[in-house]
Amino acid sequence: MSVSAMTKKILHAALFYEIWDAMKVTFKHMFHQPITFQYPREQREIPHAHRGALGLLRYDDGRERCVGCDLCEVACPSHCIKVISAEDTARPLQRYASEFYIDVTKCVFCGYCVEACPVNALAMTKMYEYSTHDKRTLMFDKKRLYNIGERHLNDAKQYLYAHNQEKNVEESREYRYYFPQSVLKTTQTPPKHLS
Amino acid sequence: MGLKPGTNPDVEAATIQLNIDGKTVTAKDGISLYDVISMTGKIIPAMCYHYTFDPFGSCGMCLVMQEGKKAPVRSCTAKATAGMIIRTEGEDLFLARKKAVEKHLSVHPLDCPVCDADGHCELQDMAFEHGVTNLANAKQKFIPEDTRSPVLDFNMNRCIACAECINVCKDVLMIDALQFMKKGGFNQVVPKGDLALSCEFCGDCLAVCPVGAITNKFSKYLYKPWQMKKTTTTCNYCGDGCQMYLETKDEEVIRVTSPLSWKNKWGDRSETAKGHGGLCVRGRFGFEYLDGKTRLRQPLVREGNRLVEKPWLEAMHLVVDRFSNIKSKYGADAIAGLVTARCTNEELYLFQKLMRIGFGSNHLDSSARYGHLNFVHASKHALGLGRTPNDWEDLTKAKAILLIGSNITETNPLTAVRIKEALRVYKAQVVTLDSAVTNMAKLASHPFVIKPGTEGLVIHGLVKATIELDLVDDEATRKHPQAFAALQAAVAGRSLDDVASQTGLTTDNLRDIATIFAEAPRAIIMCAEGIVRRAGGYDNVLKLIDLAWITGKLGRPGCGVNTVTEEPNEQGAVDMGVAPEFLPGQASFDDPVARERFAKAWGAALPVSHAGSSLVDILKGCKNGSIKALYVLGENPLETLPASMEVRAALDRLELLVVQDPFLTQTARQAHVVFPACTYAEKDGTFTNLEGRVLRVRQAMDPIGESLPDWHIMTSLANALGCQWEYESVNDIQSEMMKLLPGYYNLGQPRKVVSAPDRYLENGYAAEVAVRYRTMPTSHDSARPFSLQMGQLLMHSGKMSTEAPGLIKIAPNTGKLRMSLADMDRLGLQDGMKVRLTSDLGSLQLGVQPDQSVAIGTCFFPEHFNEPPVKDLMSVSVDAMTGVPAFKQTWVSIERA
Repeated sequence: MSVSAMTKKILHAALFYEIWDAMKVTFKHMFHQPITFQYPREQREIPHAHRGALGLLRYDDGRERCVGCDLCEVACPSHCIKVISAEDTARPLQRYASEFYIDVTKCVFCGYCVEACPVNALAMTKMYEYSTHDKRTLMFDKKRLYNIGERHLNDAKQYLYAHNQEKNVEESREYRYYFPQSVLKTTQTPPKHLS
Repeated sequence: MGLKPGTNPDVEAATIQLNIDGKTVTAKDGISLYDVISMTGKIIPAMCYHYTFDPFGSCGMCLVMQEGKKAPVRSCTAKATAGMIIRTEGEDLFLARKKAVEKHLSVHPLDCPVCDADGHCELQDMAFEHGVTNLANAKQKFIPEDTRSPVLDFNMNRCIACAECINVCKDVLMIDALQFMKKGGFNQVVPKGDLALSCEFCGDCLAVCPVGAITNKFSKYLYKPWQMKKTTTTCNYCGDGCQMYLETKDEEVIRVTSPLSWKNKWGDRSETAKGHGGLCVRGRFGFEYLDGKTRLRQPLVREGNRLVEKPWLEAMHLVVDRFSNIKSKYGADAIAGLVTARCTNEELYLFQKLMRIGFGSNHLDSSARYGHLNFVHASKHALGLGRTPNDWEDLTKAKAILLIGSNITETNPLTAVRIKEALRVYKAQVVTLDSAVTNMAKLASHPFVIKPGTEGLVIHGLVKATIELDLVDDEATRKHPQAFAALQAAVAGRSLDDVASQTGLTTDNLRDIATIFAEAPRAIIMCAEGIVRRAGGYDNVLKLIDLAWITGKLGRPGCGVNTVTEEPNEQGAVDMGVAPEFLPGQASFDDPVARERFAKAWGAALPVSHAGSSLVDILKGCKNGSIKALYVLGENPLETLPASMEVRAALDRLELLVVQDPFLTQTARQAHVVFPACTYAEKDGTFTNLEGRVLRVRQAMDPIGESLPDWHIMTSLANALGCQWEYESVNDIQSEMMKLLPGYYNLGQPRKVVSAPDRYLENGYAAEVAVRYRTMPTSHDSARPFSLQMGQLLMHSGKMSTEAPGLIKIAPNTGKLRMSLADMDRLGLQDGMKVRLTSDLGSLQLGVQPDQSVAIGTCFFPEHFNEPPVKDLMSVSVDAMTGVPAFKQTWVSIERA
């Protein structure tokens, strides 16, 4: 060990250099805004693309969007969705989900089900606070899913927009399988039973 | 285009050469270009093509470029000719095909998410394959759905007018229930005359529809194709042994599909001779009973007047104790067993082993006793073979088919399709002889209606006509001159005119039929319920064998005397030895060699030979008290046999009646203990169909409730009785059977059987034949002018199908007697009016309804329904040789009530 290095070591030891060096960081933080926020009292701003609890949506006139096509079920990688569909006897040619279950304990929040939905009936919301003492309440049924959808309608719409699902533009087609668009001629009015 | 020449057994088509994509291909002349291309292994997209019928050419997808033509040509409707130069690939063809898809899509509703065909749709596949993403000028059809039929819904918005449904209905099934009709500016498929669809409801149109235009009411909107587990199994409604796919979701059967589908549209037309892969209404729509609410889910034990649910262990202990008690008290002969031929071969084998080894009794019988054993015994006696000699291919390619006493489109619809193909493609001459105007009679080249109960006499007349016209095959008769002389002498007693007047035919008719049959190079006789389930069935089958012998048809390829079976495994029941006279493999029970072999294999002594009683004797034994315990497996004698058999009284006298059934039948209601059994969808095994093919039955779902497969229950029972059976699965039973019956598991390819009539014709034939032709048709009292016949309906099979809600919806029990319109007019009756039906055994009141298929002088009631109990009017005659009870025909009077 050289003389200069030895001198430096002795000097550092005498002046408690390491302690001052560490305290520098501590004192610097005294003048910072705190990063921790008080979670239940303070809420974070969540981006629109956030994948939270799933909800089912209705059209503006209150009709259920879901047609019970079971595509979400097949898209789900963790097999947490179960759709039981039936014929809607009130409206000819219509199918609907008579039962709809999402087992949130299994859900991995990948959002594939939302992508698969051909009618945008499913959407993810910003809701993430559903911790519970009873695991059974985490089996969301149709009623609960529609409740979530109703309560978080704006979030759901923003989600769909953020994921290019609700827009009907060229970019939104790029990553989705897209059925050919059937265009009604302006001269052609749908008959009564379909309108 | 007519028949493709390559498939005709009589004419060999010329060979041509053509060039496809630079390769020289050899093909048969006259065949469609599409077929030639698909034979080389190239698949050109086509949506309206199916190999079972002639090309229609409406979809415009199968385009190819032919050298010398400017525009692409449709390969399906183009005939392949020598020297053609064809190109099947290329950008221009891809674009032309894409254009065709776009054309179809432009009027397609694109409601894929709600459509039942989603994921199993050819149009969807084509759109994806050709990358169709945008459509100009798309428009909707807005056609309301046709939901008038009880089975099928027609959504013509989705129709692509490929006409596969119409073609399969018209060409393959010859029912012709669908047509095109221009409505609302679009060509739509509608039921004939735009009425509610009323057809045989085989559902083959549903199977070939490449889109979701035809949907099935029973499973509509319940599924997506990818969600279901698909199990290939064998139908258990009739002896045809059709292969089908049971599609299940969890514990629920969703739908049944067939090998016939738009998915496998490529094939050789000659292959359809072995079956076109379709199903009938029972197979396709009669599946709902499998997971129905009426299924038994728990063992039931009698407590006083009620049957109470009990756990398995308790019920099994009770049964074992009481069986052991009865055996020690009265001996093994006090125990008897009946089994249904809807069980698998393995279970039937186990049943007879349980009866013979476990209980030590030879009183056992199966439902093959209701008719099929008449045929088996006659055929075995005369020809040495206990099953039908011909398969479906022989039937399809026959030149003449003599269908006697068989309403084959109702009892065995898919065998009937073979006859239809023989008629349509191979131009066979089909003679039908029946006392009803059957559906087959409406298609046949030579339909004849005979007087009821004179089937035997008709055969007598045919034999006589053959001899009189000298249509006798010299080669066959020269070998056995004595036998032939005896036959000549036997039929000499009655003149042809006499036969004609008694049967309702003319002498010319008889001569014509004899000529058609004798002159055809491949001639098949098909006899069914009108022969084997009627009095004198055994003799009549032997008479048919006589007819086949003197015309030289015995042993000739493609000829023979055949029957059809009502239950899926009647042949298997006989082969497995579920009859007091047979051991497995149809060895005689009294044959010491066979007895020793089986005794050694089973490690126990068999019951003494020359013992054992069949169905009728078992019931008699129950009644007179010699049989104390009866083990009934799936059988239902109480609802099947007429009241004159006194089945109820017989069952009441029993000390122990154990019934094992998926449903609580009337017989089960009388039982002391009821075990819940599984249906065929919940177990593995095999069925032997009427051709002798051994077909796999595969487990599609877990047993419903606490029900168990029959083999499982029998194994537990046997082990509790002290046998050491170590069967853990059906495979274990199968390997034991394979050792005992080598070659029985024929993987659906039965060995051709050869008739050996020589021994029969040389020994004792002369004595037999004289007696056989002496029997007169049963004369009847003129006060009872009508012949009451009970038989099968197309939509039903036995009593089991009445548990299927779908089939009941299609064909409910009308509770009415079916009569011909002429008779109803004569008696001044109208639809729904009440009549009094009186036979020698009783009388009851019921409504009447007109039925076109009922001949004058007869009336009909379906055997599936006992409300009102028409079956109790039937008299029973038991065949002395075979013990078969015949109770399907009697004489009645009808008066207005």
